[in-house]
Amino acid sequence: MTALGWHLSEKEWTEWLRVLLESGIAVIAPVLGTTGTSEFQRVGSAEEAAAPPPSRTAMSPKKFLFPQSEVLFSFDFSGESATLSQPEMERGRQLLVGLRPCDAAGLRRLDEVFLSEPEDPTYSERRQRTVIVSQACTQAGQSCFCTAVGGSPSGREGADLALTKLEGSGDLLLEPVTAGGEELAAPASASWRPITAEDRAQAARQAEAVTSAITREPLPPNAPPILASSFDSPAWAEVADGCIGCGICAYACPSCSCFDITDSGGAACGSRCRSWDSCAFSTFTRHASGHNPRADQPSRYRQRVMHKFSYFPAEHGGEMMCVGCGRCIDLCPAGVDIHHAVLALASGATLRVQARSGVKA
Amino acid sequence: MTKVELRGTVEAGARWKPRVVAFTCNWCSYSGADMAGTARIGYAPNVRLVRMLCSGRLDPIFILKAFEEGADGVLVSGCHPGDCHYVQGNLYTRRRLEVFANLMEFVGIDPRRLSFAWVSASEGVKWSRVVDQVVSQVAEAGPVGSWAVLHAPSTLAPQPRQPAQPPRQPPSEEEVRQTTLNLRELARRLLENGEVSRIIGYAHSAGGMSAAPAFIDTPEDAERLAWSANSPGNLTAYLSGPNRARRPGKTAVVVKTCDARSLGGLLRENQLPRDEVVAIGVSCSGQWSGGRLAAKCYACESDISPLADWSVGAGGIADGPHPGTARAVAPDPRDAEIAALASLPAGERLAFWTGEFDRCIRCYACRSACPMCYCETCIADKTQPQWIPAASSGPGNFAWNITRAMHLAGRCADCDECARACPSNIRLDLVNHSISRSIERSFGSRVEADPAAVAPLTTYRPGDPDRFL
Amino acid sequence: MSATATLLPDLARITGARDETYDVRTLQIELVERDRAESFTWRPGQFAMISVFGFGEAALTITNPPDEEGFIEITFREMGKLTSALRRLSTGQIVGVRGPFGNSFPLDEWGGRDIVFVGGGIGMAALHAPLAAVLRERDRFGEVTVVVGAKSASDLVYRGEFDEWQRAGGARLIRAVDPGGEVDGWDGEVGLLPDVFERLGLSGAETVVVVCGPPVMLDFMLKATSRLGTPPARVITTLENRMKCGLGYCGHCSVGRFMVCRDGPVISGEALATLPKEL
Ligand SMILES: Cc1cc2nc3c(=O)[nH]c(=O)nc-3n(C[C@H](O)[C@H](O)[C@H](O)COP(=O)(O)OP(=O)(O)OC[C@H]3O[C@@H](n4cnc5c(N)ncnc54)[C@H](O)[C@@H]3O)c2cc1C
Ligand code: SF4
Ligand code: SF4
Ligand code: SF4
Ligand code: SF4
Repeated sequence: MTALGWHLSEKEWTEWLRVLLESGIAVIAPVLGTTGTSEFQRVGSAEEAAAPPPSRTAMSPKKFLFPQSEVLFSFDFSGESATLSQPEMERGRQLLVGLRPCDAAGLRRLDEVFLSEPEDPTYSERRQRTVIVSQACTQAGQSCFCTAVGGSPSGREGADLALTKLEGSGDLLLEPVTAGGEELAAPASASWRPITAEDRAQAARQAEAVTSAITREPLPPNAPPILASSFDSPAWAEVADGCIGCGICAYACPSCSCFDITDSGGAACGSRCRSWDSCAFSTFTRHASGHNPRADQPSRYRQRVMHKFSYFPAEHGGEMMCVGCGRCIDLCPAGVDIHHAVLALASGATLRVQARSGVKA
Repeated sequence: MTKVELRGTVEAGARWKPRVVAFTCNWCSYSGADMAGTARIGYAPNVRLVRMLCSGRLDPIFILKAFEEGADGVLVSGCHPGDCHYVQGNLYTRRRLEVFANLMEFVGIDPRRLSFAWVSASEGVKWSRVVDQVVSQVAEAGPVGSWAVLHAPSTLAPQPRQPAQPPRQPPSEEEVRQTTLNLRELARRLLENGEVSRIIGYAHSAGGMSAAPAFIDTPEDAERLAWSANSPGNLTAYLSGPNRARRPGKTAVVVKTCDARSLGGLLRENQLPRDEVVAIGVSCSGQWSGGRLAAKCYACESDISPLADWSVGAGGIADGPHPGTARAVAPDPRDAEIAALASLPAGERLAFWTGEFDRCIRCYACRSACPMCYCETCIADKTQPQWIPAASSGPGNFAWNITRAMHLAGRCADCDECARACPSNIRLDLVNHSISRSIERSFGSRVEADPAAVAPLTTYRPGDPDRFL
Repeated sequence: MSATATLLPDLARITGARDETYDVRTLQIELVERDRAESFTWRPGQFAMISVFGFGEAALTITNPPDEEGFIEITFREMGKLTSALRRLSTGQIVGVRGPFGNSFPLDEWGGRDIVFVGGGIGMAALHAPLAAVLRERDRFGEVTVVVGAKSASDLVYRGEFDEWQRAGGARLIRAVDPGGEVDGWDGEVGLLPDVFERLGLSGAETVVVVCGPPVMLDFMLKATSRLGTPPARVITTLENRMKCGLGYCGHCSVGRFMVCRDGPVISGEALATLPKEL
């Protein structure tokens, strides 16, 4: 990496986004929706992208790489020939900005799933035309626990460019993380100032402050093996007591990668789609005979926790398949808390953990 | 693109003609149509007939499916009231379709696409007249495309929720604390003397919910129970269906007044025996979050439901339903929002609702959180036939949301749990509430907590509103 | 197979069909494109994802042994959406094929050994390809026994091939039906397959036992073989989890870290014992 990074004013940053937009790059950023929550959306103006709302988006940005529903191909048998045709893919590049470091790290987990042999063609195609700009957090929510799973509010995993907003001046530090990121920024960088030691010191202070604002405990380092041997623990029933199997957790999660494949239309013409799926659903594993290897909700929730904190780490050098974004905790309609669940299982005492969470009164 | 030659040819594409699917009962309307045929009374050829034994068999999902499969209009026809082969099937259908038609109108579907008629076996002439009228109406409305209108992105921004002045104050911290202590006290007692084997209540949580469901099986564990001014979650959802978390013996459940309505519903629908559940009514002054009162609470008249076996409040524990003193209520803010939507032109309403449903991620949290969605296999999970397209896109999202709404019509307890659970903040509360209001307008009845009360769509009256031709 | 995996099936034409029972059918299928057909090579135990367009896709074992160039065979029981649609198709019609996927039976390790195939119901479909491969090179192996079981006599699959299997010292055939499933004149065994297997003492320390059937049967077979002294490493089975992609991403078929499509479907009793009890 040649460039060490640039110091931009808000105006310069906005201006750069404008240049990118005008060059035809699709810019995707968190936008405050009419419902009061923010969501990643394709934006029309640089101003919209330059000032993301402070709240974390309700859903992760994964749909821009792994759409919730995508047509794999359509088929037409109604004429004189049977044809399968794949939809035209968009060809243009897309820039994802305003991702929290956990979001970018979550997309990296998807890479590990979809880009390992054999590579998923549509994911890979989208990935190749995507540049990811992550932005260091300035606030931590009560459900955030990136630090518990090896991440950090100023982490760079999965990002092509890392952005830090300096408190006070509102200026931005833009640092290339990958060659792709540098390549995108380089043409505009001639007029940008380099990052100074003072800038770095301030960024480090900010990162330190956010990190210490995260109250959730780190996981014990041996959590994956403990979990692996806790498959039959009665605690599963307790941590997943209230789980109603709605699947929100998987849909909101930046790293969940499971999908379903379904046909629509009739025998003459129609299409085949792949759509997100969730191990929380009873239909996820149910055999055609009706037999279900995961017959109850706790066993389904166990799969969720085990996949992320035991099975995946075992195959990826200890790396968790959870980046601690806290979305599933915030959105779960039944108050199930994956961080507590893992701590509970790893320590062997669920109720103690619940008690620690502060039963006031 | 992969391609293989097949034998055979296809019809060449022709100019658009309206396609109408007519669902007819076997005994009257189908025979009426048949008679029109044999008597050589002509009628528009654009109608495909689907014969059912009785118009009472008409599930609104048939109508949605017809649209989805390319119908431009739908006609439902049965025996005249009083003439039903099965005595009253058509009278139930009249109620159900009244509600459905109102819902379709509310979401902005052109009313010209949906018609109902009474046609007897001898009314070949009427059949012909009805069909001609329906076809020309549909022709005016134009092609529905491949339900493509539902793919059209919304152009209309959703209305911001306008919080009205709440009629009450949130409870004080002391009240909440006392209520919690009293809840624990009662729970301990019930578990200690073996009156119940489990208590489903709330506990504090550090996560997204201020109070999360808790399942308490021992007196010691009763310490985890808590009440807070924001205790969302209708815990009666754990009493039956796939979420069922009852224990052998009696299960006690902590209920707010709204939650008790679904308990009444479950009892009415025989989902659990009354003597296996103990309702702990907790004095609720409304659900407060971020200083805002939940919409469902504005007009809620009683802090304790009449179904309560125990009443728990800051003041103490009482046997049976002991509501506090009369309290202030205000008009339900959802009504104003519904009225605002209803005053828009149909096209804008449709744009609003397709915009809402567009955000549906098909997680089915609305169903999972709903105490009245207790089917072991939901229609959304049935694949033969695939009633509801599985992919999260226009037609499937529309079919899912409308079908769920109809399945809750006359049963929805108005607890707004679906809307709370929905991660996409879709205004499911307005859909359900508009149905409740349309039922009230049409039939003068609402969903009651009393298990003995008759549910509005399981009955009929001779003088019910009748929009059948 | 290429480094990228596709969810786009190849079009294939049904070139033959026969009913095995009232609800089990065998289809012969040929890929339409010549070069695709030629590059489609498989090993016994591998499976394909078969599509009926408009109805979906399902994992089905390829039941014919690899050298019958040009076509594959599948045998399936009508269970649900896809399999019902598939059953309605006949010769000349188009389906989709993806694959082949998964690992295969370790036939090389079986040389010189006695082999017992135990197939319950439609489970026999998974054993058909390795059985045919073994019979083709009959001399390489010791005694070959085939135990075919079903809930009733009319549910026995591959009845038309029984004679052929037994011809010229090929295989010893034992037919069994569940108690109550026998018809008048039934001359086979009566009893649940693992019981019949144990009663007849069909395996020993050196035998290879190849089993496929419903999950409960597998459990009992593992117990029966262990009582007869067959080490779990030599009990081989194939798993049939719900599966969507066949490529290792969709998440449906995982049993702990084991993915049936990637690490299976063929697995030994020994490896099975290390998996979480989630079958
Ligand atoms: C490796 C392997 C080999 C196999 N070999 C054979 C074989 O040789 N012979 C044989 O008979 N069987 C075999 N099976 C089992 C076979 O795959 C199933 O019987 C088959 O998938 C049943 O499909 P179905 O559509 O008929 O059943 P269904 O019960 O209708 O459904 C199963 C499929 O339907 C769809 N579906 C159902 N419900 C839902 C829902 N709620 N949401 C979305 N989609 C849904 C999905 O596509 C699902 O995969 C094998 C399985 C595996 C894994
Ligand atoms: S853990 Fe929560 S979000 Fe996930 S399926 Fe269960 S209830 Fe839904
Ligand atoms: S499991 Fe939950 S906290 Fe972890 S990455 Fe997924 S949504 Fe975020
Ligand atoms: S198995 Fe569950 S936790 Fe794992 S990726 Fe799939 S949905 Fe997410
Ligand atoms: S909860 Fe919301 S997003 Fe989920 S299925 Fe229901 S309406 Fe759709």
